[in-house]
Amino acid sequence: MSGLAWLVEPFAHGFMVRATLAIFIVGIVCGVIGVFVTLRGLAFMGDALAHAIFPGVVIAFVLGGNYLVGALVAATLVSLGIGVIGQTGRLSNDTAIGVLFAGAFALGVAIISTQETFARDVTGFLFGSILGVGRDDLLLSAAIGLGVLLLMLLFRRELTTVAFDRTFAASVGMNLWAWDQLFLLLLSLSIVVSLQTVGNILVLAMLVTPAATARLLSDRLPVALGLAALIGALSGVAGLYLSYYAAFASGSSVVLVATAIFVLALLFSPKAGLVTTRVARWLHHGHPERDRFPDRSDEIADYASTPAASPRLDGGMETG
Amino acid sequence: MAFLAPSTASASLPSALSGAASERLPKTRLEACRLGIHFGDRSALEAVDLVFSGGEAVSILGPNGAGKSTLLKALSGMLLPTHGEIRLDGQPVRGCDRRVVYVPQRSAVDWTFPISVLDVALMGITGHRSRLRPFSATERGTARDALAAVGMDHLARVQIGQLSGGQQQRVFLARALLQEGGIYLLDEPFTGVDVPTQGLLVELFDRLKRRGRIIVYATHDLALAATSSDRVVLLNRRLVADGTPAAVLTPDHLRRAFGGQAVVPFSGMTA
Repeated sequence: MSGLAWLVEPFAHGFMVRATLAIFIVGIVCGVIGVFVTLRGLAFMGDALAHAIFPGVVIAFVLGGNYLVGALVAATLVSLGIGVIGQTGRLSNDTAIGVLFAGAFALGVAIISTQETFARDVTGFLFGSILGVGRDDLLLSAAIGLGVLLLMLLFRRELTTVAFDRTFAASVGMNLWAWDQLFLLLLSLSIVVSLQTVGNILVLAMLVTPAATARLLSDRLPVALGLAALIGALSGVAGLYLSYYAAFASGSSVVLVATAIFVLALLFSPKAGLVTTRVARWLHHGHPERDRFPDRSDEIADYASTPAASPRLDGGMETG
Repeated sequence: MAFLAPSTASASLPSALSGAASERLPKTRLEACRLGIHFGDRSALEAVDLVFSGGEAVSILGPNGAGKSTLLKALSGMLLPTHGEIRLDGQPVRGCDRRVVYVPQRSAVDWTFPISVLDVALMGITGHRSRLRPFSATERGTARDALAAVGMDHLARVQIGQLSGGQQQRVFLARALLQEGGIYLLDEPFTGVDVPTQGLLVELFDRLKRRGRIIVYATHDLALAATSSDRVVLLNRRLVADGTPAAVLTPDHLRRAFGGQAVVPFSGMTA
């Protein structure tokens, strides 16, 4: 088979075209919001929301309602609940998240175990069923994904300020609670979009891994956001090929590709890679004396000529 | 420093109402009325009455636990009073107000955050921009002027975590200047900074004062409070003394605020 035919063959199937588009959307949306998730140390929160959404989806399924609405209601209740538990002042956020996400997930399992299609439904939820993505699912994912990206674009400065310096954000009158809730809503939406493609266990990887890789490759937030989207989308599409030709489960193939890219960046990132920085240090060993006695004469000259320093020095000499 | 000149500031920051207002009304007033702050059953401040007005630099002195930080947080609106109220230009305020700029002692930020010095400074320019448009050349120029005013312009593109502690403090000061508030509340700005930075701070306070701003800062340094503020407030959970440095920094007042230990070395200086 020629290279081109190898690349094109999967798309002879309609379900593969839809799957590719779906994972492309998930890769971009999760990559972008994932940068903020990792910067704010909210990986556990993301995992919790993914699990907490379960009872919402199940109840919507049993009642015959829209699973999206159920998922959002459940995610909102859990994020509010975490805030309420935090108010006792005795339990950390981590603890509150742990209690609520396990409880919510158990509720979902309990309800769905009364249904006849129990095993199939749970498997689909846990690991996704990307090959079953329909036209309507795809359109809904695209609409939600675009909405999330647009809101993040509009509120990028506020989201950055709240993530970087909460004290400052509060001091300029920003309502931290409201901005946190907006962020959690965007995060919940991103997770909901991803459920069908990668499932609720592996969505965490889509949120954290491309963002972590991007952070290893850049010190600038806009660049990191772009890279995370790119890496997320790339992992998604490459993972689908892996799934198609190696017959691996699709969700796990995507995550394996994302993890492999992360390991490459961890070792070989130009400025932060474990191997690259060591090689750079090793090459530097040709000039050991430069390392041991860095030339600081410029700095010292700067210090002496700083206007604020001079009067003090002069004054000291006069009185002495 | 273009951004410190009234005309340029109001031109490049049209909606910075605080800046424009304090130009027209040099008598910005910030008041604490019977201010009391309690944490649970522990009282941190009790019945504090203070009035600050435009054009003065006031230092807050007191031992550890005297409530200096608490007072600044309450004045900034970060802490809501348990008793009494805060008034701004005669109007009671609850919560944070854009006219009041608060600079904490040590910013509790994530130093690994992928953000440059210039981007941190630009955070000080708030409101008034279109949501989609990036910062304009004028806004970036204003931010660079503010960085230049604190001697950090040459490091504008560096990631914030690469700076030393004193340099980071200067960047947060530049951001505070860009907020164009009428009132600056600084928690221990002189702590842990080198002599050139101290000189720079004193110089900046002077300029802000000349533009009718109020500067209130907490400090441990009695000598600095005596030389670089117009007024000293001595605090130990209650107001001990309030007035000119010469009137406040007396052995008797200091003994009442600090207990015995701090008085001996300092009484020689005041005599």
